[in-house]
Amino acid sequence: MTAVRATTEESVGLEAGVAATFNALAWEIELCGARCLKLDALIGEVMHGLPPEQRARLTEGLHTVDLLAQQLMSLSAFSRRVSGLTDDEIRVPVGDALADMTLGALADRMSQSLGGDDKGLMDGEDAGDLDLF
Amino acid sequence: MQLEGQGRRAVIADGDRAVLELLQIRLDLAGYHTFLARTGPATLDMVRQVRPAVLLLDLDLPQLDGLGVLRQLNPRRAALPFPVLLMGARLEADVIREAAALGVKACLAKPFSGAEVVERVARLFRKPSPPVAAPRPSALV
Repeated sequence: MTAVRATTEESVGLEAGVAATFNALAWEIELCGARCLKLDALIGEVMHGLPPEQRARLTEGLHTVDLLAQQLMSLSAFSRRVSGLTDDEIRVPVGDALADMTLGALADRMSQSLGGDDKGLMDGEDAGDLDLF
Repeated sequence: MQLEGQGRRAVIADGDRAVLELLQIRLDLAGYHTFLARTGPATLDMVRQVRPAVLLLDLDLPQLDGLGVLRQLNPRRAALPFPVLLMGARLEADVIREAAALGVKACLAKPFSGAEVVERVARLFRKPSPPVAAPRPSALV
């Protein structure tokens, strides 16, 4: 938790090009989509072991996750495209927005992508750490 | 169902953790067994340790860039024992020429989607189709 706060405090004042910001967003959204695909595969595996009468609810969930994955892939493609069309000379202050992120690993990854320090916060187990206080 | 990756070992080398995790998930789902590296020296260690079936290599790796990694892996510029997919935002002609001389089989410009990468990696393992034999003159009649 301490490491998360240190990262966000040091990100304040960070500026990034608009193209780089859209590009970082595109990668993160694409990553969300990939995680949906992983969830989709896991639900599929669980469904396989269930009796047919219990599969209906999960089928509904599976469709929702699938739709979410497609939505995220489209948003990622949009953000990537806009990044390619945008002048990176235009800079925006991203520090405060990064500092407000409550997911440590995400804030750290984006800070690194946008030219800030990489604190090396781990994904995986630490990825869900919330900086709430 | 047999997945495209067939349990092949894939080393993914990229300094950007979002890209690294994205590629890991995508290739895992496609049936590859993935190993990750975030710097040039770590990539060299990982490749020597794992002996991968394929290497996905970012051009702009920290500490030692992708071409530097290839120069160390392949000092004699012979054929590499595994295919390499070179990824990068600035894949200029001279970089591609140098990469090809160092044994790179394919290049992919960033940004790309996860689906594109899986497709390109799969293509590295597909055997080229045999050339179509010219029809015999009698067959043309």
